[in-house]
Amino acid sequence: MKESQQNTTDFGYKTVAREEKASMVADVFHSVAAKYDIMNDLMSFGIHRLWKRQAIACSGVRKGHTVLDLAGGTGDLTAKFSQLVGDTGRVILGDINDSMLKVGRDKLRDLGLVSNIEYVQMNAEALPFPDNSIDVITIAFGLRNVTDKNAALKSMYRILKPGGRLLILEFSKTDSEALSKIYDFYSFNLLPTMGKLVANDSESYRYLAESIRMHPDQETLKGMMEDAGFEQTSYQNMTGGIVALHRGFKY
Amino acid sequence: MINTLLTAAAERILNKILSLEPSLLASLGKIQHQVLAVEIRDWQQTFAITFTGHSFMLFNNYQEHVDCHISASIETLSQLKDPSQLTRLIRQGELDLEGNLHLAQAYSQIFSELDIDWAEHLSTYFGDAAAQLLVQQLRNTKQRTVHLDDVLKTTTIGLFQDELKVTIHPIEMAQFKAHTRELKQHTAVLEQRINQLLAR
Repeated sequence: MKESQQNTTDFGYKTVAREEKASMVADVFHSVAAKYDIMNDLMSFGIHRLWKRQAIACSGVRKGHTVLDLAGGTGDLTAKFSQLVGDTGRVILGDINDSMLKVGRDKLRDLGLVSNIEYVQMNAEALPFPDNSIDVITIAFGLRNVTDKNAALKSMYRILKPGGRLLILEFSKTDSEALSKIYDFYSFNLLPTMGKLVANDSESYRYLAESIRMHPDQETLKGMMEDAGFEQTSYQNMTGGIVALHRGFKY
Repeated sequence: MINTLLTAAAERILNKILSLEPSLLASLGKIQHQVLAVEIRDWQQTFAITFTGHSFMLFNNYQEHVDCHISASIETLSQLKDPSQLTRLIRQGELDLEGNLHLAQAYSQIFSELDIDWAEHLSTYFGDAAAQLLVQQLRNTKQRTVHLDDVLKTTTIGLFQDELKVTIHPIEMAQFKAHTRELKQHTAVLEQRINQLLAR
């Protein structure tokens, strides 16, 4: 059954009313925003930087492009894209959560990146841009928090220019049984403890682990992208499938 | 992932070099935002480099459109320290180049002219005199190492050539075999005569 036909949706392992999910996710990110970067490094042992590098290498972003870094959080990808598009391009850092946007804006300004970056609070399901106006859209570790993923993918497709591409970097499913067991133990035991110790918030990190398990696997997400209209869709697994990078084009 | 990690480390080194030699910025300005891809045949890997105006970005397994694509072995690439070698290597078929030749030449030129003033940078940590002394010592050590390497190579080559002199030449071997066969025949004749004498 399609998500859009349901009145409820998942919030980690819980089932909640659809209209409640956005505010519950917002609470999670308000809570973790200040410690987001340090927790990312701790939780992934710094590997998230390599996953993001791979996404940038596959983005095809060039000088003059308009790039939307959706659910951009604290702006890791925006920082790189800002340099790649140069003065004639622009990067829009979009996030539904204003706390994350503020942390991202402060961080990027401290890095001296100001001239070609815009900060827009937005809902991925209804993107506030004209049709065919964006060259590249990236959404890194954000899609699983979106209530109606199909609506979000259609919205992204609408605003992409013909020839443009969407990149989705997201936690996914590993094929290896041994790795899966280690990963589960880490996610449900160590991760909330680390969240408690560093950010004084174990519940948000429990949600993180649960939301990853509820997110569609590689093939399902690829199918969802195709349903939204994307062509030449493909994905590459990283770190044994713990993370997957999906790519699709609009022609 | 290991390749991505190594590429990230190389990118940090390149950007550190850039911060130590800011005069590079003027040369790099001309090739800003152009992408050079280098395919290393030995490793079957393609790396791409671009200068964004602030820093270098380096990618592995880059499959996007590039302004210039070079394909060569590590040994050939090491010869590109001298930009004048580029056209010779292309003519000899040791290096394939597609796209903007000037971009490859510009990168080759920039890295060949790299001359970091290490004493200047180290002086902030150790003071002027100590930094100068340290850099001088390191230069001397490098020179001694290069000299030692030359001596070692010459000695090794000499030893191998001497070895060739004491090795039996194929003609000598053939002569030795002929003598042995002759001796064997004589012995057989002698044995036959002794047997005849004994039989009487």
